[in-house]
Amino acid sequence: MIEFDDRLRAIRDRHREAAEDLRSRALAIDADPEAMEPHLDSPAYLMIRESSMPAAHRTSATAAASPDRGSCLENIVGLVELFRGDVGALLACPSPALAGVFVELLGDAAQKERFYRRISDGRTWSFFAMTEAGRGNDATAMETRLERDGSGGWLLHGAKRYIGHGARGGVGVVFGRTGRSALSIRAALVELPVPGWHAERLDMVGLRGAFLSELRFDGLPVAGDMLLGEHLPVTRRGIWGALTTFNNMRMQIAAAAVGTALAMAEYVAEHRKGAPGAEPVAARAEAARHLVYEAAARLDRSPERGYLSSAAKLGATRMAVETAHWAAAALGPAGLLEHPLLEKWTRDVRAFEFMDGTGNIQRLHVARGYRSGDADA
Amino acid sequence: MSTSLRQCERIARDEGLAAGLAMAIAGAEVATTAPGRWAAVPAESVRAGAEVRHDSLAAREGVTFLACQGRPPAAPASLAEIGRLLAAVRLGLVRRLLDHAVEHLSERVAGDEPLIRKQLITGTVADTMAEVELLREQAHAPHDPAALSDLHLRLDELGWQVLTLFGAAGYLADHPARALHVSFLVANTWIDREGVPE
Ligand SMILES: Cc1cc2nc3c(=O)[nH]c(=O)nc-3n(C[C@H](O)[C@H](O)[C@H](O)COP(=O)(O)OP(=O)(O)OC[C@H]3O[C@@H](n4cnc5c(N)ncnc54)[C@H](O)[C@@H]3O)c2cc1C
Repeated sequence: MIEFDDRLRAIRDRHREAAEDLRSRALAIDADPEAMEPHLDSPAYLMIRESSMPAAHRTSATAAASPDRGSCLENIVGLVELFRGDVGALLACPSPALAGVFVELLGDAAQKERFYRRISDGRTWSFFAMTEAGRGNDATAMETRLERDGSGGWLLHGAKRYIGHGARGGVGVVFGRTGRSALSIRAALVELPVPGWHAERLDMVGLRGAFLSELRFDGLPVAGDMLLGEHLPVTRRGIWGALTTFNNMRMQIAAAAVGTALAMAEYVAEHRKGAPGAEPVAARAEAARHLVYEAAARLDRSPERGYLSSAAKLGATRMAVETAHWAAAALGPAGLLEHPLLEKWTRDVRAFEFMDGTGNIQRLHVARGYRSGDADA
Repeated sequence: MSTSLRQCERIARDEGLAAGLAMAIAGAEVATTAPGRWAAVPAESVRAGAEVRHDSLAAREGVTFLACQGRPPAAPASLAEIGRLLAAVRLGLVRRLLDHAVEHLSERVAGDEPLIRKQLITGTVADTMAEVELLREQAHAPHDPAALSDLHLRLDELGWQVLTLFGAAGYLADHPARALHVSFLVANTWIDREGVPE
């Protein structure tokens, strides 16, 4: 079990306060994810913006209790608390998000500067466009193409689906292939507006704050210096970066599952005192919280080893869905209609299964890690 | 009795949630039978002027929520019967969407083979059907509230298991798998699980 020192405690407590603010916005964002203006300068969003930007792009001095951006554990400790406020409201916040992790890993100085300068206003969403309608988990078979334009640049052709914030994004990363092999998959930094870009929001069952969208590109121009990873060895340019990014993001989805489960368990305890099953449900959510901390700490020690982060994502996601089913029953007949926040969470938790590798993909990772001895590492 | 269970399963499998729900509650006085303040009903059965609660996903399934007296139900026996029929409806929906998922996964390729050939997927298809066979028998059981509550909790899990097979497509509001999300909400209004020990 991870022992909290003063610093982790301070991070946790600071994020707890912001969580309340997030929760107060949860239902409004779910009902109308387009109407974000009233939330953009909220205390929680200001805090998230501050702690997610590199120091050079922060607008104020950072409080001592901001997580170190290089520490997965510190980030996860903060995130669990924010997700416990509301996952939809948190994901709706304009931030570097997945694209930021990737640009940090593969971008050169000019690309990083361009990316962060664009989103530093707190009103610009970023996107990370990898998935296609025909290819989900099997991303190496993507069909979006980067074709040479004959003068040092590229033209992007193809389509993407289920891309968070795609239809309202200002800057982000789009994956495409320059040839046939897996190594030919590259990521382009795309800044809007740009010709050849078509985007539309998708109507989803839950997690509506994530603003999933469908994108289409017909000859979208990409300047030669906007391909990420050009300064890196060929093997580290495209899919490698995405996989490393996923090890990290997977922890965030696990944290989202834990935070939402904790929120549901506490909600039921508050509104139905003595609900049968409340104690074991809360104990399981707490156990998942500790597992997620442990997995984050292990990722800090060995970033390439994904065994425990996959196990944590798999276990926490399943636990969160079971908690949702229990909570719905525990609130009594028609409880979901009388408690819209809980009803929303029962929809939201079902998204985690699909994000950053579905359950089956995690199962394959866990089994592989177990066989190579990572469970005892 | 078992004829109507079979019919409910059949109609839900062939025609979907709203048709199954209509059959499960046919003849019941909804406002006095339902255990909570709201009860799921087929939208087309609602009389003009009745107080209803709208839900955007349920509406697309042709289901709405009618205001009710809440507890105690006037006729606990008919409520239990509705609970069993609704279980049959949910089994029919699981079959309907499992057929759909298998078709979807037969067309979808990963690596160099259709997803349906992956053993983890075959395993889920098999587990789903084994559970369907078991729960169908459980729906025949006597009207014991704890058993009925357990049955529907298992149906919640089973519906979710089928939903995972669709990937993110099954999370789109206009995908047919939506019926499984909505059936969870429907059962929540008709099954009284309070006070039933775990
Ligand atoms: C809320 C949300 C946000 C998202 N945000 C983004 C985003 O910002 N950017 C982005 O690029 N994508 C995003 N996605 C897409 C997500 O990454 C994909 O949904 C995911 O990769 C799975 O692909 P798929 O949905 O097409 O499922 P498929 O790959 O078609 O999977 C269908 C089923 O087959 C199983 N399966 C697949 N492959 C195998 C295998 N090899 N062995 C066994 N079983 C297998 C799956 O587990 C699943 O049950 C998001 C999705 C959601 C739901």
